[in-house]
Amino acid sequence: MKVPKAYYDEIFPFRGQWDMPSACGLKIREVEGKTVVIVTEMYQENPGTSVTYAGRSLAEQICEAKGLQLSDIIYLECTPDTNSKLSFYDEEYFRVDFSGERPAYTQLPAEEVHKLLRS
Amino acid sequence: MESIKMKLIYPKWQKLRGQTTFNLPPHGPVAFAATLPDYVEVSFTDENVEAIDFDESCDIVALSTMLSTQVKRAWAIADEYHRRGKLVIAGGISAMLHAEDMVKHVDSLFLGESEGRMDAVMQDFLRGELKKVYNYMGQMPPIESVGPCRRDLYKRDLYNHKGVPMVDLFHASRGCRFSCYPCAVSYLGGRQFRPRPIDKVVEDMAGIDNNRLFIVDNSLAQNKDWERELFKAIAPLKKKWISHTIEDDPEILDLAAKAGAWYVYQAVYDTSDYIKERVKRYHDNGIGVEGTILLGLDNQTEDDIKRLIDFLGEIDLDLAEFTVMTPFPHTKGYDDLLRQGRIIDFDWDHYNAGQVVFQPKHMSPERLQELYDYAWQSFYKDESQEAKMFNLFCQVALREMNEGTYRPRDRRLMNQSFGHAVDRSKRNVNT
Repeated sequence: MKVPKAYYDEIFPFRGQWDMPSACGLKIREVEGKTVVIVTEMYQENPGTSVTYAGRSLAEQICEAKGLQLSDIIYLECTPDTNSKLSFYDEEYFRVDFSGERPAYTQLPAEEVHKLLRS
Repeated sequence: MESIKMKLIYPKWQKLRGQTTFNLPPHGPVAFAATLPDYVEVSFTDENVEAIDFDESCDIVALSTMLSTQVKRAWAIADEYHRRGKLVIAGGISAMLHAEDMVKHVDSLFLGESEGRMDAVMQDFLRGELKKVYNYMGQMPPIESVGPCRRDLYKRDLYNHKGVPMVDLFHASRGCRFSCYPCAVSYLGGRQFRPRPIDKVVEDMAGIDNNRLFIVDNSLAQNKDWERELFKAIAPLKKKWISHTIEDDPEILDLAAKAGAWYVYQAVYDTSDYIKERVKRYHDNGIGVEGTILLGLDNQTEDDIKRLIDFLGEIDLDLAEFTVMTPFPHTKGYDDLLRQGRIIDFDWDHYNAGQVVFQPKHMSPERLQELYDYAWQSFYKDESQEAKMFNLFCQVALREMNEGTYRPRDRRLMNQSFGHAVDRSKRNVNT
C-alpha cells in the first residue's frame, strides 16, 4: 500500500503515542496569506501512530519544527488514494480544528483542496 | 536471589448472547509468563473459568488483557488489589490499545512484547522502583527469542467440554504486513511479518501435550516460502489445527492438509464466485471453513447484508462467525469514524464486535444490531452452532482414528463443561 509521492513534499518523522517513532507525509503551502499544512497518512510506511490518533500532538510538533503557530495555520489531514480495491482507502481530506477540548473534523471535498493547492 | 510471587490474571468478559461459549486456554498470559525470570513464581487465574481468590497471597499482580471488552474489568480488579495494598502491572493487546486509559488504573504499564525484558522489570520491583510505564512500543525483540509458553499454568480440567479438551493456542509468527481497515495488529505487532524460525516452531509445537491446536497467527498467507516450509516441518507431528487464512495456492493447500489443517477462519466479504471457489478449494483439500463475516461496513446496505447471509447457504460453510464493525483504537476504522463523528459509544465494555457502537452509513445502529442478530439466527436456524461444531469435531476425530492419533475423551469430565456440571440428560441447543 504505497502512498503516491504527489501527496507530500517531505516525510516528517514525529513522536507518536508513547513516543513511538512515526512518520507522515507533509505539505506546507501559503495560500492567500494563510499557511496550509497538510499531513498525509503513510499507512505501511508509518511505523507508529496514525496522523489522526496523534492529532494535536502531531500538529504541535510540526509547528515547532517549522516555526509556525497552531492558531495561525489551516491544518488538514489527508488519507491518500492508494489505488486499493477497497473503498475504505479513497482520498479524503479533513480540516481539523484543535481549539476545543477534542479535535473537530470537517470534511473537505478533494477538488476543493486540489484547487487550494493550485492557487 | 529473592523470589517474587506473582498473581497473573486474565480478566473475564461478557460473552455474546446466543452463541455457544467455548473457553479456550488463553495464549497471552502464558506467553507472557514464559518471559519471566525463574525467581518469579506464578499463580494464574483465568477469570472466565474460575473466580479470582483475592485473598491468595502474592507480592505483585499482573493483568493480561487481550480484548477491549476486558479492560474495564481489569481496572476493577486493579482497584480491588489496590484496596489490599498490592501493586498491579498490566500488559497485553488491549492494555496497549487502551494504554492512555489503562495507565491511570495500574501502578505499572508494560507496552510491547516482553521477551528479554522482564528480569529488569522484576528487579525494579524488588528495589521498590517499579516504573509507571515500560515502553517498548515499536521495539520488537528478536523473534528467535520467542520460546514455548508456560502451559503448565493452565488448570486443564477447566478447558474441557464433556471430556473433550479444548485446543491449545499457538503462534508461529508475529506481526502482519497487511494493514486491514478494522485491524490493529500492524500497530501492535509491527508492520512486517515476523515468522519464528521453523525449527523453534517445531520444537515448541512438539512439546505441547495436545494433538489439537489453534495457530493464532494473523494470517499464515504472508510468505509462501515460509508457509511451505512450515507445513512440511510440522506434518510429522500429526497434530490437527485451526488457523486463519492459508495461501490460496494448490501446493500450499495440499501441504496444509497433509500438515494437519482441520479448519480455517476465512473472511467472506462478498458474494463473488472467487469466494465460492475459495471455500471449495479448502473443502477439496479436506479443510473445513468457518466463514468470518463483518457486518456494518460502509459498502453494505441492508440488502447487501441479507444477500451475503443468503450466499452463505450456497457455499457450504462448516461454521460462520458474524461480527459487527467495531472501531478499535489504532485502526483505520477508528480514525475514519472518529473524523466523521460517527462513533456513538466509547464504553469499552461494548467493544466486543457484537454490539454496534457507531453510526452505520446505510442504516440506523439499531437496524444493524437487528441484522447482526438475524445473521446468527438465519445461518444456524436448521442446525445449531454446537451441532455444526460437533460435525467438525467428528471429522477430525475420524482422521485421528485413521492415523492412530485419536485420544479418547476424559471420562472423569463427561458431566462437566468448563468447570461446571452439566446435565447430559437434556439436549442443550445454542448454550
